[in-house]
Amino acid sequence: MADIVLSNVHKVYGHVVAVTDINLAIKDREFVVLVGPSGCGKSTTLRMIAGLEEISAGTIAIGGRVVNHLQPKDRDIAMVFQNYALYRHMSVRDNLAFGLRNRRVPADEIAAAVSRAARILSIEPLLDRRPHQLSGGQQQRVALGRCIVRNPKVFLFDEPLSNLDAQLRAQMRLELKELRLRVPTTSIFVTHDQTEAMTLGDRIVVMKDGVVQQVGTPLELYRKPANRFVASFIGSPSMNFITLRVSADGEHFALACHGWQFRLPARRFPHLGSHVGRSISVGVRPQHVRLGAPVNDDQIALNGAVTVTEQLGDEQLLAVRLGDGEIRIAGADPDLSLPTGTQIEAAIATDHLHFFDELEQI
Amino acid sequence: MTDIAAAPARSVGFFFALAPRGKAVFFALAATAVCLLFAFPVFWLILTSLRTGTGVYYVHRGTEFTTDNFHEVLSQEIVLRALFNSFMISTLATVLSLGVTATSGYMLSRFKGPIPNAWFSLIYIFRCVPYVAWVLPLYFVTQKLHIFDSYWGLLLPHIAVHICFFSWIMKGFFDGIDPSMEYAAMIDGCSRWGAFWRVAMPAAVPGLTALAILCWLYTWNEFLFALILTAHETPILTVVMAQFVHELGMEWHLMSATAVIALVPALIVTLFGQRYVIRGLRI
Amino acid sequence: MNEKTRFMLALITPAALVLILFQVVPILTGADASFRNWTLHDPKRTWVGFANYLHVLRDAEFRDIVLPNTFGFMIATVACSLVLGLAIALMLNNRFPGRWLVQSFVLLPLMVAPVIAAIMIRWMFNDQFGVVNAALEGLGLAPISWLTQRWTTFAVILLTDVWLWTPWFALILLAGLQSLPPEPFEAARIDAASAWRTFRYITLPMLRPVMVVCIVIRAIDAFRTFDIVWTISGGGPARATELFSIYAYVEAFQFLNLARGSAAAVIGAIVIVVFALLLYRVLNRFVEVSK
Ligand SMILES: Nc1ncnc2c1ncn2[C@@H]1O[C@H](COP(=O)(O)OP(=O)(O)OP(=O)(O)O)[C@@H](O)[C@H]1O
Ligand SMILES: [Mg+2]
Repeated sequence: MADIVLSNVHKVYGHVVAVTDINLAIKDREFVVLVGPSGCGKSTTLRMIAGLEEISAGTIAIGGRVVNHLQPKDRDIAMVFQNYALYRHMSVRDNLAFGLRNRRVPADEIAAAVSRAARILSIEPLLDRRPHQLSGGQQQRVALGRCIVRNPKVFLFDEPLSNLDAQLRAQMRLELKELRLRVPTTSIFVTHDQTEAMTLGDRIVVMKDGVVQQVGTPLELYRKPANRFVASFIGSPSMNFITLRVSADGEHFALACHGWQFRLPARRFPHLGSHVGRSISVGVRPQHVRLGAPVNDDQIALNGAVTVTEQLGDEQLLAVRLGDGEIRIAGADPDLSLPTGTQIEAAIATDHLHFFDELEQI
Repeated sequence: MTDIAAAPARSVGFFFALAPRGKAVFFALAATAVCLLFAFPVFWLILTSLRTGTGVYYVHRGTEFTTDNFHEVLSQEIVLRALFNSFMISTLATVLSLGVTATSGYMLSRFKGPIPNAWFSLIYIFRCVPYVAWVLPLYFVTQKLHIFDSYWGLLLPHIAVHICFFSWIMKGFFDGIDPSMEYAAMIDGCSRWGAFWRVAMPAAVPGLTALAILCWLYTWNEFLFALILTAHETPILTVVMAQFVHELGMEWHLMSATAVIALVPALIVTLFGQRYVIRGLRI
Repeated sequence: MNEKTRFMLALITPAALVLILFQVVPILTGADASFRNWTLHDPKRTWVGFANYLHVLRDAEFRDIVLPNTFGFMIATVACSLVLGLAIALMLNNRFPGRWLVQSFVLLPLMVAPVIAAIMIRWMFNDQFGVVNAALEGLGLAPISWLTQRWTTFAVILLTDVWLWTPWFALILLAGLQSLPPEPFEAARIDAASAWRTFRYITLPMLRPVMVVCIVIRAIDAFRTFDIVWTISGGGPARATELFSIYAYVEAFQFLNLARGSAAAVIGAIVIVVFALLLYRVLNRFVEVSK
């Protein structure tokens, strides 16, 4: 009932094009994450949905109603800001009640809604404090509380976790997921952190330079990135890319660069046929490179010298010199001693290779 | 905005650089010198107000003191009326000027584009025009509108003077307040006016207080407009004071006594307000 | 007109109405007068174009005395009040016993009507009865007739103006000092910067935006100073200390040529508008540089 549809939405500030032609359909109760690097237009998109920014072209509909010319207060939405934007001259209780009072809800209902929200977020002991007497995480919770008391059609979040330290952020992430179960509401969540995007989103929208790159579930984005940008943005550590030249070699395609080459059966990779004689970008996630020699025909081998190791306790990250470049390997046994210069052999399953031209995945 | 009163004062003075050893002595000397410098004319004013009519010619020699001047001044009806009028005008001008310029400063702070630019240029340019180019035609305008020598006839020009300066300062206050608070309010069900009035204004209270105090003092002490735009109906304290010296032939003792009386409300306002002024006056 | 534009206009409407009625209209009326013949033998007030402007610009008094006086006064008073105000602000930014008292003393000039202060100071510098000459005599020095010579008169006016306005600078700069973030000062302490170097390389640059705003506002006001000069010297001796607003006033009300006075005022306004716009440019650049 509170689905959101963006059709051909554009936003232009003077000469700066902030958002170009966004089309997006968000289902009722879906949790969608907008993710992308700084300045890509995520906040702008969110603010247009909230009604804080005029829409240059296109339409936005919430619950089947076009809201282009509706005031924020009439859109029945709630929003959490990056800096929380708590009303600093009001107590926490008044912060929570403000939106309900604006809508002339009877006092006893307000009191009930406030204490329910406070209970859900465990901020009951803080109700009579002022915002400046709260820690970052507590302010964050009050900001969330301000949203849920109103029981709006849509929640909008603009990087709400980015001002918290890593530990608190992880904790708040879990709490947000719990909150979703208790208060299921259509939500749009903006972040530039791919971990947040992957863990929170039912679906993820990846943006770059005001253009949507791909929309999909976290797994779709991880497994089938539409282009090199999405591939590099999703997943941590990020995907390795090696530029290789494709040539035909009987039943196989040979891919080669300085210092590395391998062959792939043409039968299984027919789409490489149109790239013979050209260079393409081959991507492979660090997690998909295994130390050791190939164990079957579906794996390809690579050899190189270790340049750097990073010990994480449960695994080691390696950087290995490969031709002119470097390839990163995750998941190495933490007990292995790999001083710089050690020659190692590794294997990659061909299923895990991604091929990209300049525009998209091949 | 953190509470600056609670923050420890930092030693950033160059007094320390000049005299790292004799710091305390130097400091005390400097403080005393500053006090003397600023207090002397006021001290002199008070001294004069306590002398007899001819005693003013040997203020620094004689030893007779009297409070007759105050009795005499306070028994004049015009002085009492002027006190009342000055108080009313200052208070009303403060309230109205702040009301009018808070919205204008808010607009300058929150919006960009041709309208704010035009408005800013207008007030910037008109702030530069000297009073002389202005007071005489202003006299005709108030005559035309039949508000000459009335409260409105003095209030409105005062507000006009304040618009330029205060809008600018108010813009600074609002620039220091994060607008996302207002966005939150708008999403919470406020109109733009509601967000301005219920969220932005309360957050600007420290700045508004400071400006209110300065505005009150300025209007209380203003002379030129009062001189030209009022006559017998609405006597204003500064004009009445100055007339003791100009028209009735150098009645220094009466002028000083009136000036000292005029000083009292200003003193009260300043002594109680200085904390707020310093806290609020951040451009 | 969309809702946002309506809101913007509504926000400035009250201010704009008052401004137009009581500032724009009178000023334009005055400007209109400056293009007419306002002398007594021309009751029809004939339109004379720029004749009054040419007269003012050709007037040696205006060119050689009034303009240099005005700019000299503006620069001197702003510079003195700034330096003094900064010193006082730095002093008051320290915790010391009696700070509240010193601060209250510094604020005294804000409480006294400028006219009264000017009358008082004129009296203190009186040739025969003034306390200043009495003090000079007490020290065995020859008394000076302060208000009969150009430069001493100028000095007295300057002193009065600085006395009146230094507290204003001190207040704003003190507020500025107190709102500076503490981290750079802590870093400087760790870097073992001397007090002077801390002041020169940290306090001063961080305070610059506030200082520039003060300077611009105060420079514009100093340029149009009228009342204290009028009270202390009336522009004398022999028009030697006239600032341009006094010049305009004298032309308009003593020589009874309102047109010429208005023309002088308009010229002054144009000069200061141009000057202020240049200053504003500088201000903008400064503020951006220091961000
Ligand atoms: N008021 C404005 N005027 C002009 N350009 C703007 C304005 N607001 C944003 N932009 C531009 O629009 C683009 C998108 O900005 P937006 O705030 O949406 O980025 P974002 O994806 O939220 O980035 P971040 O992660 O840093 O918050 C940027 O290039 C920005 O410079
Ligand atoms: Mg953003």
